[in-house]
Amino acid sequence: MLTIDNLHAGYGCVDVLHGISFSVPKASVVCLIGSNGAGKTTTMRAISGMIKPSRGAVLLDGQDITGFDAYRICRRGLAHSPEGRRIFANLSVTDNLLLGAFPRFTGNRSKGDVQGDLEQAMELFPRLRERRQQLAGTLSGGEQQMLAMARALMLNPGMILLDEPSMGLAPILVEEVFRIIADLRQRGVTMLLVEQFAAAALSVSDYGYVLENGRISVHGPAEQLRDDPAVHAAYLGCGH
Amino acid sequence: MDMLLQILFSGIALGMIYAVIAFGYQLTFATSGTLNFGQGEALAIGALIGLSVVDRIGNYWLTIPVVLLAGAIYGIGVERLGVRPALKAKSEGWIMATIALGIIMKNIAENIWGRDDLKFPSPVSEAPLHLFGASVLPMEIIVIVGALALMLAVELFNRKSIYGKAIAATAADREAAGLMGINTGQVITFSYALSCAAAAFAGILIAPLTLTGASMGAALGLKAFAVAIIGGLTSGLGVIIGGLILGLAETFTGFYLSTGYKDVPGLVLLLLVLAFKPAGLFGKTAIKKV
Ligand SMILES: Nc1ncnc2c1ncn2[C@@H]1O[C@H](COP(=O)(O)OP(=O)(O)OP(=O)(O)O)[C@@H](O)[C@H]1O
Ligand SMILES: [Mg+2]
Repeated sequence: MLTIDNLHAGYGCVDVLHGISFSVPKASVVCLIGSNGAGKTTTMRAISGMIKPSRGAVLLDGQDITGFDAYRICRRGLAHSPEGRRIFANLSVTDNLLLGAFPRFTGNRSKGDVQGDLEQAMELFPRLRERRQQLAGTLSGGEQQMLAMARALMLNPGMILLDEPSMGLAPILVEEVFRIIADLRQRGVTMLLVEQFAAAALSVSDYGYVLENGRISVHGPAEQLRDDPAVHAAYLGCGH
Repeated sequence: MDMLLQILFSGIALGMIYAVIAFGYQLTFATSGTLNFGQGEALAIGALIGLSVVDRIGNYWLTIPVVLLAGAIYGIGVERLGVRPALKAKSEGWIMATIALGIIMKNIAENIWGRDDLKFPSPVSEAPLHLFGASVLPMEIIVIVGALALMLAVELFNRKSIYGKAIAATAADREAAGLMGINTGQVITFSYALSCAAAAFAGILIAPLTLTGASMGAALGLKAFAVAIIGGLTSGLGVIIGGLILGLAETFTGFYLSTGYKDVPGLVLLLLVLAFKPAGLFGKTAIKKV
């Protein structure tokens, strides 16, 4: 369960987010939609500790994690697959996946069956299995995107942030990614999703928020947003 | 021919010392983009502490863990006092800070051990062995084996253990490493500890072959910097090759020209490499222009 309360955050002294509040209940999928530059990525960064909020609060499972360093937030079970993938190009695919499970090796999270989860990740993304010994930087853009997602899952996270997991993927792989998200949702993984394909994102979400210039303009259950004429016109129009 | 082989061995041993110190430069450069310009002092401290421990317990091998620990503590101190504040402020202040901490360390060492050069007892016979027709000092073989063993051990740790992978991740993308739950600040501190421990270890390796004193590290540290530049600040193997080039160039110069000129090749090499190939011969990334 993630709760954001009156969050302000930005870069330098300029705020990009001007007081947003929402929550992601346990075992549900929430999506953020908004045009380019609306502040979706900034929201995710402020949640996972990549940037420090200037005001407001972030609560993970009821505990205040506002302003914590990213590594501490990760150790509490929040995984973030960031915009731009950020995979470790000069390490192998397997090493990237193992690093996703880092806190499970150091005793900061319960270890469980890392090897089994590695197998499962490769089951979910068979292309990663074929290329497991390869340096991650030699993967295609789409494969790197899958790696970023699989790496986040390796934490065995209680909560996962996915920032445009379909970015740069061929249409058939975009469908694949949404199938995987739907699958994770079935398994009860709590997710916050940012997607350019708003209609598809809403179809795998329970609830949606529309972000406009750093403020939430509309929100509601996913089906309701899909049918909202204003939302439809602005974000779900042709091509989406 | 005999003489040639003998010089070759001495050159290789010296080159390995340079390689270990340069390896230390690489370790901190990888994680933080910074270097400890007090590496030479870490080497001297290692040799001097080693000397005191040998005097007390009379066993060279048992000094190794003590010296490694002392080096690590020095490294942690340098990172906390000199590097971390500069990294936080995104400044180049670490350059002056690590030099200053090195000078302070040297002064402390002079107060404890004096300014005179001391003799470090050799743990093995000082009579040369006859190997392939050449006479070789047993200590030179220990230097070569010890240096290679240290670098190999660190490389294995870096490649095989999850902590080593965390170091590589920090080196590649600090922010993304943080998202993996890696405390990147701690990784940088650790790289400093490892780097200075390596230098301190180089100190007790070379001490029995040379004179031991507070200022023994200054020239070694500078020339190893040249080796790190030649070998590339990012490539592991490069420093061994760079070290060998310099070690051999120096011993040959010392023998065929004059020992008075033996520091010249290293410094000329440094100037040449800085002028023509600032990223090093084997490295990939360019050094940030200060
Ligand atoms: N590192 C940065 N430094 C300064 N400003 C930034 C930085 N990153 C983003 N911004 C600014 O913050 C605003 C919001 O950016 P953000 O990345 O959150 O948008 P977004 O909703 O994720 O957009 P997109 O759909 O293009 O990914 C933009 O105006 C952008 O210019
Ligand atoms: Mg974005």
